[in-house]
Amino acid sequence: MPFREINSKMVEASVEPGRKMYSQRGAMLAYRGDVSFTPDIRGGQGGLASMIGRRVANEATPLMTVEGSGTVMFGHGGHHIQVIDLTGDTLYVEADRLLAFDGTLRQGTMFMGSQGGVMGMVRGQVTGQGLFTTTLGGHGSVAVMAHGGVVELPIAPGRPVHVDPQAYVAHHGDVTNKLSTALGWRDMVGRGSGEAFQLELSGNGAVYVQASEEKL
Amino acid sequence: MFRLQGSKTLAVDLTGDAVKAKNGSMVAYDGRMAFKKMSGGGEGLRGMVTRRLTGEQMEVMEVKGQGTCYFADRASEINLVSLHGDTLYVEASNLLATDAGLRTGTSFTGLRGGASGNGLFTTTVEGTGQAAIMSDGTAVVLRVSPQYPLNVDPGAYIAHQGRLQQHFQSGVNFRTFMGEGSGESFQIRFEGDGLVYVQPSERNTVGGDV
Amino acid sequence: MSTPVVLDPMTLPSDDNVNAYTFCVELKGSQWFLQKGKMIAYYGQIQFDGIGHGRFERLIRTSFHSPLHASDWVVAEGSGKMLLADRAFDVNSFDLEDGNLTIRSGNLLAYQPTLALKQSIVPGFLTLIGTGKFVAASNGPVVFMEPPLRVDPQALVGWADCPSPCHHYDHGYMTGVMGGLRSLTGIGGTSGEEHQFEFVGAGTVLLQSTEVLMPEQATGGVPHEPGVPGGGPGGGQHGSTPRMPGQLGDLQRRFGL
Repeated sequence: MPFREINSKMVEASVEPGRKMYSQRGAMLAYRGDVSFTPDIRGGQGGLASMIGRRVANEATPLMTVEGSGTVMFGHGGHHIQVIDLTGDTLYVEADRLLAFDGTLRQGTMFMGSQGGVMGMVRGQVTGQGLFTTTLGGHGSVAVMAHGGVVELPIAPGRPVHVDPQAYVAHHGDVTNKLSTALGWRDMVGRGSGEAFQLELSGNGAVYVQASEEKL
Repeated sequence: MFRLQGSKTLAVDLTGDAVKAKNGSMVAYDGRMAFKKMSGGGEGLRGMVTRRLTGEQMEVMEVKGQGTCYFADRASEINLVSLHGDTLYVEASNLLATDAGLRTGTSFTGLRGGASGNGLFTTTVEGTGQAAIMSDGTAVVLRVSPQYPLNVDPGAYIAHQGRLQQHFQSGVNFRTFMGEGSGESFQIRFEGDGLVYVQPSERNTVGGDV
Repeated sequence: MSTPVVLDPMTLPSDDNVNAYTFCVELKGSQWFLQKGKMIAYYGQIQFDGIGHGRFERLIRTSFHSPLHASDWVVAEGSGKMLLADRAFDVNSFDLEDGNLTIRSGNLLAYQPTLALKQSIVPGFLTLIGTGKFVAASNGPVVFMEPPLRVDPQALVGWADCPSPCHHYDHGYMTGVMGGLRSLTGIGGTSGEEHQFEFVGAGTVLLQSTEVLMPEQATGGVPHEPGVPGGGPGGGQHGSTPRMPGQLGDLQRRFGL
């Protein structure tokens, strides 16, 4: 359990030799011990190609590597922090919401289009995050930021959840996403506007929704 | 059925019935929902005209369906208010949702609106049911009784209910020893019987500077 | 449905928090200093007077020592209960017993006149000395830590009893092959964490949970003389420009830009 929640806006992480972490640049509030913070020139894992991939994917959120031995306090911008523990499944989250995460987690970028087809591409436009989303897989913890508090809504077979794309934070589990629109919704917000759609998540897992329509 | 999920998200369980909510405040739902745009500030043509006059803008939608619908707005704290035939006075921008059975309208509030930068008219919610109002930070609910009148900074005021008279009060002195900044500050004084909701934050006000 | 708690003068706490964002002060013929604009409501007979109002001259002399920001403060006097809040930031009270605590000027909301308020020699900070209660706001709850500790400058709220902080630069970053490469080419950028405040010695460090600064409150100027930090030409840290009364000032900082 690498993250200890100190309050709703601050987490404490312990760093040990051989167990590094990644965090968003500038998210360190304080630290104790012998800890170094290095800008992550490779943009996470996967070398130069991945970095270029990220640049193209517009997921160039600057990360830094946190190594050494000691404790580090993380927080950023007054945003609420939600710690999500992964036990073998995959978390989908937009890169600029990542505060810090275990170095043991597998990082990747996923082309949302590959899951939702054309609709997935629209989703990228809707959320303004490009078509790529960061994925983190394996066993470990992730600290995710949100504007206002976060509500976790379970997704169960036969009980899909519809989310305002602007309030969407992250999701995990065996979940498929597509865009849908509710009865009367498009008449209300006006046809053709990006807000005419909701993100429909179905399958088995959970989605995290923030109490605000504001992006970070 | 209104309930809070955390302090900033309102969950409304619907079983075929409807809820009125601020336009665009839906963040998620499960089940089946239908949305309909409405105009705020009273019903019918007369409502429309008053609304144009009052400038009390409230874009309202009606959500009807089966399941749970979640509402939130700019990470504001949400406070539930129960109405039992009485009237709630609230700034339109602070009203998140009401039971579909509650009547909403506008009322003239006198000078207070002018001071808090909120227009001269306030939204009224009447009937029996639940309403959800928003505040910047957790609201404090203060009781006003004949022996305990209350003074409120106009910028911190969000709503009140009950039989209350409000008047503007000036007479707060600011004399600094530099000889500058001498001026008066305004407060709203509530007298009578009822409840006043204040938020731990102040909008920019013309009147209040304490 | 959770019914909200309805409070009145009998049930409001006395000199304690109503909720995380609101503090209630009880006055029984006593006085408090408060920053302008932080009182949101009150019951009872309370008078608010600008500092420098004749009556208070003696009070000011003993407990108010930074002349230039006097216009930002008022004295509340009377009997009743008043609620203090600051833009929905977290609010907490602190008790000092014959102690001293230095705090970022923008975070201090109110204090009892039994405490003396002085400018810290660290620009942008105020020091409270003596015995009494004060109320401070922070972005997120305040977290108390013991030195040794290195703190991001923006997360620092204040400190008590320990020696002043010193600057710490991350040398591993500035030197070495990677550092050289970075300074030559600019590739790689900075980690944003090259500079911290370092605290050593015995005491307590107060942190706020975010890096969003409270709007800076001018602490007033210091005499322009050699040897006074911030007093000489070109001296003074960013964010501690003296502000004269009546000047609009510091707008961009107030809005966190």
